Amino acid sequence: MKKKDQLLTREQVGGIVKMLGLTTDREFDCRECLQHVSEFAEAQLAQSPANHVLAKVEQHLALCPECAEEFVALMKILQAAQ
Amino acid sequence: MTQSKIDWPAALRAADSGAQAAAVEALRELLQNGLRIALNGRGDVSEAHLEDFAQESLLRVLARLDQFQGRSQFTTWAQAIALNVAFTELRRKRWQDVSLDALLADGERMMEPAMMADDVLGAEEDRTRLVVALRQAIENDLTPKQRAAILGELREMPFDQIVELLGTSRSAGYKMLHDARRALKQRLHEAGVTGADIRNAFN
Repeated sequence: MKKKDQLLTREQVGGIVKMLGLTTDREFDCRECLQHVSEFAEAQLAQSPANHVLAKVEQHLALCPECAEEFVALMKILQAAQ
Repeated sequence: MTQSKIDWPAALRAADSGAQAAAVEALRELLQNGLRIALNGRGDVSEAHLEDFAQESLLRVLARLDQFQGRSQFTTWAQAIALNVAFTELRRKRWQDVSLDALLADGERMMEPAMMADDVLGAEEDRTRLVVALRQAIENDLTPKQRAAILGELREMPFDQIVELLGTSRSAGYKMLHDARRALKQRLHEAGVTGADIRNAFN
């Protein structure tokens, strides 16, 4: 019998499914996201609409927890500076 | 002059060595203050860590100065780099004891039907069909490294750590994961699972 922690949880299977739902043929990788994330953060802060480049940043952030974590931290710094 | 009004790229390239040194020190301080705000409350970050991260970030920013294209404030661009440096190092420390063998073995277990517990299936027919198709696609369409990478992500292992263990670059690693996701999506499509099924299954 498998240990509970060796099984994929409902959330993790849901995570795979969510990733697949967001997958497109052409995506930004982490390096491309980092190149544009500062622009995306400022646009978010100004509540400006996202152009097609920033939409790719947004899509990458939905798929990549590490880049999303860094984006949240960046927003924290920008909000503190306001 | 406020920091946001400074022409940072020009100041950091100033011919006057005294002015350049002052700009470099001001940027180092700005990065460290930003990191202090961003990482506030974390038990694994001391003031010494902040100093190290700021120094490493400063070197990274200076090395990439030519890549700044002015689409955002310079300071926002630099802070994004600093956060990438700091979080990459923090994640590396947390996962440094995981081995490649353990990651690959874990990935192989994804093929076993019991890996997805029955309660994942739920009562809905659509979700059952989706999970069965997903299991088959994981078994038939992914390489061992792709399985390991996807499972590593699900277990919240940092991507940098995954690619380091798999002995590949970050770009190649992301392509490998992207190819895996596309293969799984295509196989689900062939199995009659629609985009709406995918969106609705776990809502």
